[in-house]
Amino acid sequence: MTTYITRRLIQTVGLLFLLSIMLFALVNLAPGGPLAGQGRSRHISPEKVELLKRQFGLDKPLPTQYLIWLVGNDWMKVDADGDGIEEGYGTRLGILRGDFGFSFRTRQPVLVEIGQRLPNTIYLMSITMLVALLIAIPIGIVSALRQYSKFDITVTTFSFAGQAIPEFWLGLILILIFYAWLKNPFTGDPLLPSGGIQSINSTGFNLGDRIVHLILPVITGALGWIAWYSRFLRSSMLEVIHKDYLRTARAKGLPNRMVLYKHALRNALIPIVTMLALDLPTIFGGAVFVEILFSWPGMGRLYYTAAQQRDYPVLMAVLIIGAAFIILSNLLADLLYGFLDPRVRYE
Amino acid sequence: MFSMFRKVVPVLVIGLLIFSLSACAPASTADEGIVIVISEDPPSFNPAIADTGYDYLVMELVMLGLSDIDPNGNVFPELAAELPTVDNGGVVINEDDWTMTVTWKMRQDVKWADGEPVNADDVIFTYESITNPETGAWIPGIDYVDSVEKVDDYTFTVNYNYVYPGYLTQFGGEQVVVWPEHYCDAEQGFTAWDCARQPLSNGPYVLKEWVNGDHMTFAKNENYFEEGKPAIPTVTVRIVPDESVRKQMLINGDADLDMWTTEPVIADLQDEPTVKVSVSPYNRWVFRLYFNLSAKGTNDPVATPHPILSDVNVRRAIRMAIDVDTISKEFFLGYAEPAWTEFFRPPYQCDNIARPAFDMEGAKALLEGSGWTDSDGDGIRECNGCTTGAPDGYKMEMEFITYAEFGEALTLTQQFIAEELKQIGIATNISVVEGSVLWAASEDGGIEQSGNFDIDIYDDGYAGTDPTDYLWSYYYSEAAIPDYGYNYGDWINEDFDALLDEAYTLDEDYRKELFCQMAEILEEELPEALLFTALNADAHSTRLQGVQSTTNDIVTWNVADWTLAK
Amino acid sequence: MTDMTQQTTSNITAKDVSMASIIWKRFRKHPGAIAGIFILALLIVAVILVPLSPYDPEASSMTERLQPPSLSHPMGTDALGRDLLTRVLYGGRISLTVGLLVVVISLSIGIPTGALAGYYGGWLDSVLMRITDTFLSLPALLVLILLSAILREIELPLFKSNSMLTIALVIGILSWMTFARLVRAIFLTLREMDFVSATRALGGSDFRIIVRHILPNSIGPIIVEATLELGYAIIEESGLSFLGFGIQPPTPSWGNLLSNAQENFTKYPWLAIFPGLMIFLAIISVNYIGDGLRDAFDPHKVFENAGEH
Repeated sequence: MTTYITRRLIQTVGLLFLLSIMLFALVNLAPGGPLAGQGRSRHISPEKVELLKRQFGLDKPLPTQYLIWLVGNDWMKVDADGDGIEEGYGTRLGILRGDFGFSFRTRQPVLVEIGQRLPNTIYLMSITMLVALLIAIPIGIVSALRQYSKFDITVTTFSFAGQAIPEFWLGLILILIFYAWLKNPFTGDPLLPSGGIQSINSTGFNLGDRIVHLILPVITGALGWIAWYSRFLRSSMLEVIHKDYLRTARAKGLPNRMVLYKHALRNALIPIVTMLALDLPTIFGGAVFVEILFSWPGMGRLYYTAAQQRDYPVLMAVLIIGAAFIILSNLLADLLYGFLDPRVRYE
Repeated sequence: MFSMFRKVVPVLVIGLLIFSLSACAPASTADEGIVIVISEDPPSFNPAIADTGYDYLVMELVMLGLSDIDPNGNVFPELAAELPTVDNGGVVINEDDWTMTVTWKMRQDVKWADGEPVNADDVIFTYESITNPETGAWIPGIDYVDSVEKVDDYTFTVNYNYVYPGYLTQFGGEQVVVWPEHYCDAEQGFTAWDCARQPLSNGPYVLKEWVNGDHMTFAKNENYFEEGKPAIPTVTVRIVPDESVRKQMLINGDADLDMWTTEPVIADLQDEPTVKVSVSPYNRWVFRLYFNLSAKGTNDPVATPHPILSDVNVRRAIRMAIDVDTISKEFFLGYAEPAWTEFFRPPYQCDNIARPAFDMEGAKALLEGSGWTDSDGDGIRECNGCTTGAPDGYKMEMEFITYAEFGEALTLTQQFIAEELKQIGIATNISVVEGSVLWAASEDGGIEQSGNFDIDIYDDGYAGTDPTDYLWSYYYSEAAIPDYGYNYGDWINEDFDALLDEAYTLDEDYRKELFCQMAEILEEELPEALLFTALNADAHSTRLQGVQSTTNDIVTWNVADWTLAK
Repeated sequence: MTDMTQQTTSNITAKDVSMASIIWKRFRKHPGAIAGIFILALLIVAVILVPLSPYDPEASSMTERLQPPSLSHPMGTDALGRDLLTRVLYGGRISLTVGLLVVVISLSIGIPTGALAGYYGGWLDSVLMRITDTFLSLPALLVLILLSAILREIELPLFKSNSMLTIALVIGILSWMTFARLVRAIFLTLREMDFVSATRALGGSDFRIIVRHILPNSIGPIIVEATLELGYAIIEESGLSFLGFGIQPPTPSWGNLLSNAQENFTKYPWLAIFPGLMIFLAIISVNYIGDGLRDAFDPHKVFENAGEH
């Protein structure tokens, strides 16, 4: 077991190294660059381009840039003021020592930027997933047990419809209905807020206020998950129900209900748990559409702005940390699978 | 299980709704303050670093420069006691080597929020931080400044190595403010220092809280020098990325001000009784066609002239075929105004250029005259002995590019123009690209800098009152060198260069004369075809009074004067 | 889709043909799937026939701007006075083609990868699966945003900038891994089967075994997965359009028609409703077809039906 985990972890490091080269090239070789005018300034003066290139380290060849990104430049002489003389050592530590550089846009350390956004994203995404599971699991079980019943057909229809509505569109319609059209009959205010984590003027933690702000983003984000997980559970339940040992159990005269809950459900949940582990990384990446529509200050928006403005260090950090999350949750999924299903053994 | 589920869900839903009804109907707009909605976080409070516009907005709330420009283009003093001019002895020009010295006198009653006085040391600290080669930034005109010297606590001189007409906003305007020497950490350097994110105010408000990506709150600066101002005690800036949500927030009264409101939104807001739209008295952003006079992908208009566009009559025909009035009426909802010269607003308004006519037949005649006819009957003209030297049979087909961020009005305009050009026999391939690609440096594949285009359409224009630097970078021959300026079309004209060299003077009458001569050359040569100005507007709630949109700065330029109606 | 089934089944034995007809028989019993096939076929016919429309999808008509649906313009007109029905159908060409291209791209990367890995195993399997893992480790939506921002600006001989091939390639590159894993899993089981060892013993070449014997037997799950992929691709294109990275106007796609219309939804609702409806119909049909196929190919169903009779 330990050797298995060690081996997997070593593989992870190799994989991440490979990915980092791939992504670094992709991000940097993209047409367009951080040296274009932003916002209303159409252009950026040549003098400023010169200065920014040096400050961003873009004046060096790409392999050197990658090296600095990876291991820093505090061990090499650099020319920080552009006079052609290398006067001192650099200050970058490189990601291997936890320095992801600074954002071109804000000049803040990337990790600070991510640290400001990540809690909000984890907060929203974990509640979205929880809600999705709480709804999807009972739906999936019932529709499997009553395959082709009215309930099953209705749920199937809804789940297909849920997958057929683009997320951004659903969010907009919800805002239109609950923020623009429907009013609170007592106060005359909109029924639900348009976005944000909580009311700006609320002081401290107000549970009601928090919940009100969660309703629309969670519905928008959860619909796809509900559709996906309920279908998934339904089919894995069906598969288990048809398994021979259940037939045997039934044949042995065990009561149907007991067979279903004790054996079928337990076995059907195994793939769900592993699937959940595989989906965990989305908690890190956030939901771009939901965050944009509901003004949610999360990772998705941070990344989206960075992609628009070619903020290389932020892009790289989010991608690499995201990839690490995915690889680790794959490992977690495998381990969970082994833990839940005693037939699996690791070599 | 199913029946239990059926019972539980409605109960939950109703429970949540009741919750939302009773527990916490959020007091949407605090009575004592206002809410400004913008689409993305400002990078910092220092617009000299990133220049996104959002940084201008919040900077105006907390910081002052030496001077600023009002919506009509008049420079007014902020930290300065008066504006230095040649007449009041504040500016001394050395006629021999064409250098100048500007002496600034500062107000003595302005204090930082911590009670320390704002004085000449702060200005010199700001100058030194900006010009630090390692951690500094580039600001307009800074290359003309040799040094800044302290005379006394409230007086200093700026020594210029050339006569620089934009000197009045050297340490002011929309980009530059004075930073506190005793508070900012010189070691961190101008571009990285914390005081640009947690600024110490000398302006009307102080930053209370900044929740990244969500909101910023500002409270009145008790040490603000203007008596009784600001009238509004708190300002909240909320980050709301989606435009339609911002619009709805204005309608619902959850927002008091939306910066840079676009035409479609303005049209939607017209019938809202609680929303007003403030429009800038003068426009800055002129939509125009940029013509590439060198063949696509090259930078030499003489050796490799553009096979179609190097003939001025072709450029003129294209301009003639564009129905500006219809574009204004249909896509900009009547808010766009025709513009045909760079010099369309005071102080350098040149009336010597007549408005060009919209004339399809005239355009066709011009093309015929230049040797472009449709000989194979496919509706697209070919070169038949054309003046540009393109081979006979060369098709009049070009790429036509714009940028995506402006939004639908521009892409519709682009499609409409393409249709009109088709009617005079010019085929265009339309594409829409990101601004970060269109305007990137040439080595990053920037379309304009590498000359990799035929015709582009977008908006630009100079801010404030001094067009010289702007004219230099767009029309001067040196600016045609890739990554050196923005003369992407490679327009080379020695007469224009000579006039522009002359314009670096402080003699206002002479300058106006020079600019109007330039206007004539530009009209004759048509390196760009100016079409119309886009609206600069900011929508605000009717209870918020004193808002005046401006193209010379950002809407919060006079935030200290705003009031709230009861 | 049906074409593909027939083509692959046509060169195998009579027993398999009867298998296909059994599957078709079972598929027919799924009302949702039949309705899906019907709607999708209708959509495909409409987008093929759209050049017959009297209206030009790109020529503007300023006198007819923003008209609500009427007899002459069943879906109304857009901001340039163009007939929306014509634009929606041309958009359908683009969106459906993007969907199909994504399926083709991911199949043509996924199937060979999975087949080789599953059939040969050993080091080849390790290498191919590491590559698959690498792609699976990419945060999909984030890389999708990045790639579409990058690739659409690149001028390559095959790729016109902003073209559907570019968008399809971007989505395809990030979705072939499902197929690779699926095909590998099937091959791992099937290569140990008696009929495979028998063919091998008779001197059948590996290529022949893979293409003629194992692949046809794994076609069921692949088709199911491919149908679903078609739906994902259409949704993903519309999402990219909302973010500004999708297919760019004036070329219409369902995604950009929908996302451009959202700004004025309350004023000109038809501009958003019709493209939205098209996306909805196309995807819900595809999902039902996939569901029907899954049931039809499901071995458990065979057992059940056999039991019923």
